[in-house]
Amino acid sequence: MNWFVSGGCKNGKSYFAQEQAKKMAVEKSAPLYYLATMIPADGEDQARIRRHVREREGWGFMTIEQGRDICGALEKADPTGVFLLDSVTALLSNEMFSASGQVDQAAPERVRAGLLEFAERTGNTIFVSDFIYSDALQYDQLTEAYRKGLADCDRALAQVCGQVAEVCYGNRYFFK
Amino acid sequence: MKLIIGGAYQGKLDYAKEHFGVEQVFTCSRELAELDFSKDAIYGLEDFVLACVRGGVEAKDYLMENQEKLADQVIICTDVSQGIVPMEKELRDMREMTGRAMVWLAKEADRVVRVFCGLGQEIKGKQ
Repeated sequence: MNWFVSGGCKNGKSYFAQEQAKKMAVEKSAPLYYLATMIPADGEDQARIRRHVREREGWGFMTIEQGRDICGALEKADPTGVFLLDSVTALLSNEMFSASGQVDQAAPERVRAGLLEFAERTGNTIFVSDFIYSDALQYDQLTEAYRKGLADCDRALAQVCGQVAEVCYGNRYFFK
Repeated sequence: MKLIIGGAYQGKLDYAKEHFGVEQVFTCSRELAELDFSKDAIYGLEDFVLACVRGGVEAKDYLMENQEKLADQVIICTDVSQGIVPMEKELRDMREMTGRAMVWLAKEADRVVRVFCGLGQEIKGKQ
């Protein structure tokens, strides 16, 4: 079954998602994949990636680097395996904004379609996203386009996933 | 009165249409510190609150004065309470005034639904 997990920053989403993915892989005796979506831009990102890699050690994940074109990961993996995609947020950001400063306004729709296809082709994926929608600030047009695009991806995934959970400081709320 | 809350872009209005039969919608404006109670729903209450801030009106007082007209309304408001405190005073005031209004509305409402990624969670009323 596909899962959609979201919540605030540093609330325990990734840990919960890792636990869930591991449990699913053990139950199904299926390979366990981690879809790494961050494309490092600087030393801070490199350090964050090293910390995440250390945190995943011993869990049995095979890591697939896939910062763009999420369905491309299926050429490198067994689609009947269990996948942890962390995160939808980074994936959209990579597709929408490039290092050269270009903005691809078509990215949200393309990413949304890719995620839905990935969910359908695998059936055992845990999608992790970030809840960035409850502040009072008013952002520039580009940031708002990104927030709306991410919300469209989140809503599409929440609709098709069999389980939808919000993680709030380690507590889990289930919407399905 | 029914109250629908949730983050930006979460599908609050779609939820109101699907689950509460909302058809006619009054959309609040940042320029107008008044509400139109003649439709099924009042949408974007946070914008009305910003207009109240600009006009020197306390949104909660306005709502309390119009309590009877709220009875058959669906009120839809973005949860603006969970982010960084804005640098701009007007937005800081809006954020706090929205909180005061929402606490009162949630107390008065028969049902309060929080919409998360298009899915509703009843936080008051029908379980």
